[in-house]
Amino acid sequence: MAPTKTIKNKHAANGSGVSGSMKAKYGSKSAMDGVIKAKKTGGKSHLPTTTGKGRPKIADILKKKKKRVYTAKELGIPELNMITPVGVEKPKGKKKGKVFVDDRESMSTILAIVQAEKEGQIESKMIKARQMEEIREARKAEEEKKYQERKEKLEETKDSIRKKRRRGAPKENDGDADPSAPLATGTNVLKLKKKRVSFA
Amino acid sequence: MRPLTEEETKIVFSKLATYLSDLKGLIAPLDDGDRYVFRLNHARVYYVRLSVANMATSVSRDALLSLGTCLGKLTKTGKFRLHITALPVLAEHARYKIWVKENGAQPFLYGSNVVKAHVGRQTEDCPEHSGCVVYSMADIPLGFGVTARSTAEARRLDPTGIVCFRQADCGEYLRDEDTLFAG
Repeated sequence: MAPTKTIKNKHAANGSGVSGSMKAKYGSKSAMDGVIKAKKTGGKSHLPTTTGKGRPKIADILKKKKKRVYTAKELGIPELNMITPVGVEKPKGKKKGKVFVDDRESMSTILAIVQAEKEGQIESKMIKARQMEEIREARKAEEEKKYQERKEKLEETKDSIRKKRRRGAPKENDGDADPSAPLATGTNVLKLKKKRVSFA
Repeated sequence: MRPLTEEETKIVFSKLATYLSDLKGLIAPLDDGDRYVFRLNHARVYYVRLSVANMATSVSRDALLSLGTCLGKLTKTGKFRLHITALPVLAEHARYKIWVKENGAQPFLYGSNVVKAHVGRQTEDCPEHSGCVVYSMADIPLGFGVTARSTAEARRLDPTGIVCFRQADCGEYLRDEDTLFAG
């Protein structure tokens, strides 16, 4: 019987979780010698129970210390900062290889999209060109207007100078018209004739 | 030889659309029930009848040198470069046209740009940097290029000013004989 009891104690030492109930058992069987020894051992086993209570705690601590492995999504790392670039990673569940376009319907849809895009580009280019042309025309007209104004101003100043000259002309004209004057007056013609010198 | 993917088709069509006014005519069904398709072989895009393309499947990829009309080449950077061999296709439905005089045909065929002095006629309302086909005065297509100036600007240009930047001309059949169909 005794060995069987010792086995029971061993179970208790292991800390099977029913230590409370075991203690109750020991209390009831205290009269038996072998059992008392066994109790002593059980007393010894009391310490282990206390230590047994501590041991699992340490184990728990050790378990808690194990680092948690985070997935890339949990960490929120930018997608570009990966070993495999985004473009290279092939999506799962999709068919491998290229998808060819050979039927007329799909080709005509692509064609329509491309042509619409191109038409839009050309249209915008034309509109831009027309606007630029308008701006150029306006600038040209403005330049011409300015040139005309400047020309008119110049003409005005020229006229004013001419008028000024005419006003002061009679006094100046006497000296200028010396060669023509003798023709008009006969006295001067005679004087000129007198001045003539002839060589033999 | 294989059909084009969606992406490739878009690239090819967008390039053709710069020169052509009507793209639908390219893939329209023919009278005999046949139609034209686009095929890719050795990075070159071919415009070929479907019946011919089906027959060409019996020829291995390496052995197949050319079929139908070679439109151009898909570059490694994902662009499409038109070849002079595409001229008959472009000349048929060209959006913008430039006719060069007799004295301008030879310089153009030797690889120079079209200058104002050589322009005989030009399509009205042609914006700058748009694709145009160059013809002789006898309506013979000589090549194609990109306009340097709009029609309005080109009128005011001096005789040596460039009207059209050359992209391809018929002289390439001789000049680039070695690399035109292979390499």
